[in-house]
Amino acid sequence: MPALAPPATQHPAKVEPLRVCVTGAAGQIAYSLIINIANGTVFGPEQPVILQLLDIAPALEAMKGVEMELYDCALPLLAGIVLTTDPLEAFRDVDYAILLGAMPRRAGMLRKDLLKANVGIFQVQGAAIDAVAKKTVKVVVVGNPANTNALVCSHYAPSIPKANFSALTRLDENRAKSMVAVRAGVAVDQVKNVIIWGNHSNTQYPDVAHAHITRDGARVAVEEAIKDEAYLHGEFIKAVALRGAAIIAARKLSSAMSAAKAVVDHVRDWHFGTRSGEFVSMAVVTDAHAAAAYGIPEDLCFSLPLSIKEDGHYEVVAGLPVSDFARGKLDATVAELEEEKAEAFAHIEYLAAVKKAEEEAKTAHANGDAAPVAEVSA
Amino acid sequence: MAATMSPFSARRRILAIAHHLRAPPTGSSFALRDTQHHEQPATTSSASPAPVRVCVTGAAGQIAYTLLFSIASGHVFGPNQPVALQLLDIPQGAEAMNGVAMELQDCALPLLAEVIQTTNPLVAFKDVDYAILLGAMPRREGMQRKDLLRANVGIFKEQGEALDRVAKKSVKVVVVGNPANTNALICAHYAPSIPSRQFTALTRLDENRAKAQLASRAGVAVENVKNVCIWGNHSNTQFPDVAHGYIVASDREVPVADYVGDKAYLEGEFIKTVAMRGAAIIAARKLSSAMSAAKAVADHVRDWHQGTPDGEFVSMAVISDGNMYGVPPGLVYSFPVVIDKKGKYRIVPGLDVSPFARAKLDATTAELQEEKREALDHIAHQVAAVPAVTAKPATQGTQAAAPAQGSSVSTN
Repeated sequence: MPALAPPATQHPAKVEPLRVCVTGAAGQIAYSLIINIANGTVFGPEQPVILQLLDIAPALEAMKGVEMELYDCALPLLAGIVLTTDPLEAFRDVDYAILLGAMPRRAGMLRKDLLKANVGIFQVQGAAIDAVAKKTVKVVVVGNPANTNALVCSHYAPSIPKANFSALTRLDENRAKSMVAVRAGVAVDQVKNVIIWGNHSNTQYPDVAHAHITRDGARVAVEEAIKDEAYLHGEFIKAVALRGAAIIAARKLSSAMSAAKAVVDHVRDWHFGTRSGEFVSMAVVTDAHAAAAYGIPEDLCFSLPLSIKEDGHYEVVAGLPVSDFARGKLDATVAELEEEKAEAFAHIEYLAAVKKAEEEAKTAHANGDAAPVAEVSA
Repeated sequence: MAATMSPFSARRRILAIAHHLRAPPTGSSFALRDTQHHEQPATTSSASPAPVRVCVTGAAGQIAYTLLFSIASGHVFGPNQPVALQLLDIPQGAEAMNGVAMELQDCALPLLAEVIQTTNPLVAFKDVDYAILLGAMPRREGMQRKDLLRANVGIFKEQGEALDRVAKKSVKVVVVGNPANTNALICAHYAPSIPSRQFTALTRLDENRAKAQLASRAGVAVENVKNVCIWGNHSNTQFPDVAHGYIVASDREVPVADYVGDKAYLEGEFIKTVAMRGAAIIAARKLSSAMSAAKAVADHVRDWHQGTPDGEFVSMAVISDGNMYGVPPGLVYSFPVVIDKKGKYRIVPGLDVSPFARAKLDATTAELQEEKREALDHIAHQVAAVPAVTAKPATQGTQAAAPAQGSSVSTN
């Protein structure tokens, strides 16, 4: 029997594989995430997947190790693996792009510098997605600063609807839900509609005002079950925001397992839809409707409560009452996101101007023009 | 390989055994269907089953990090079976273990009923249904195999004794920490009130690796490679055997040897590649295989819990008895097994053994006998050197090994 093409799944009713790109593929979160994409946890037990893994050149050996292990996992749904350091290969025809990779913050690095470095990365990736991904691609940005990176990415992919770009706040939501569950003495899946508003940062607002638990068959508002406003407005919010640091302190490594699980939840719900009456948090690009609903600016990547239909389209859950306390919190996280956006886009403008100047210099040189080009101020 | 029994005769035999062992189907069959829609809140509904209690040792380590999530997500015991995790590690790992417990909570997993973390085996193994022993003394630079064995005797003595005292008598044990086979033997030795057939070691990783190699070589999907098994020790002497394996292609079942058609490869490079795969992963990742090891543990436990598919067998290192396949009794030796729906395994009988296979089986037997001899040696010294100051288990069967003659403790 002749050896054939790369292994293909042979399900009787052959389902077209989903192409999923994961960047930062040699890293920690990827190691926990990729197996769960390949084993059916995200897209269900009948849906084959092709993984398109991207990382930087120094990580190629490690990525090969991951590929070897994936084969050794003997996963029926894994229809193919692509390893690459080239975004144009990684994003080709993808249905989902999960962007774990970003420039990490180093000691002494200012936030300005972090934003600049990441603009560079997400410019390249956004442009590649624009060039080669399916136009229906859904993008999840995890690498921090996630919200602003998602916005930048979307900016460089103008042919992809802005609604297809998101950043991950599901980890914060899962953390908040589990804390409520422990406090209220119920199982975690009995806690619903906890919202994360705003930026995936210390200014995030974990909000239980619209959340409920189910206890002994009865639905109870979280604010009723946990009658402690001081806690809910104080310690609870801080605990959720600082949970990442707490994990690092204990593990000496950042949360990979729970971050990966949050990505799994985010993508699965975006793919299959949410249950009626339930909403989840995703940071999405605000349009006029969302802006009007909650008095926030348009064109920010802002975590909001969403209900997602079976066809994978989401709607911002509008009409939730916003207390004075909540208003203060929303405004604070808006302010931070606007500042990040301003810095990022200032750098985008700078890069564009530099590019323009370079092109003009090239043209001038081609025309034999020796006139020097004025320097562009950063 | 002159096979007088084709894989198909073997398969018919396996089907006959499975039919004989099969219990009437129970209510819950594990099929991973719409996992996002199971409405039953696992831990608050009166209709949901009691949690399966699973201890994982080496809980702060790499393999555990992947495996614990897998167990807690329902990948092992099914989407309707709650689990309680009992984590064990050494004091140096306690803080990291706490971080893992925090992350498990942050995963918001409906099936995770409880997490206990401890450095005390008597707490970790209390009432467990399953004990997955990942932790063992790792080999360090300059360490002799003797030292490794002595250290591991200490660990698995303590854990065997604890299992003997506090685990459910029906506990199923999977040893992963190396040397896995011999560690499992030691553990069983120190848990005399638990049937020794309940102590196993992991060779499913080698099996999965073997299947993946063949799938790649043959150009087929890995799930279409069946009944390839691992014999013997989870070490370089392991024997990945394709003689009873077949490949499903275009609705036909073709013996592996016919499909791949390269005897030299199957008896040479293939075996070497499978045995050396772990080292290859380390070379690439600079870390050992956690993801694939965890997947193999999940497969081993899942199949042991719910049974193997009809006509198929899987590899588990189990206590040899009755001189099957010319393997002396009393070794933890990887065999092809079938497992019924009640979770009881049986070594597949009557498979043909070629001269080539015979030599392989004997070589790995020899290594395991050597390891066992060394281990029993250390056990004898342990008993001679350490007076019984620890509280004796209350009315639990016979004590561990009788003290060896000669009371001097030699430092090997």
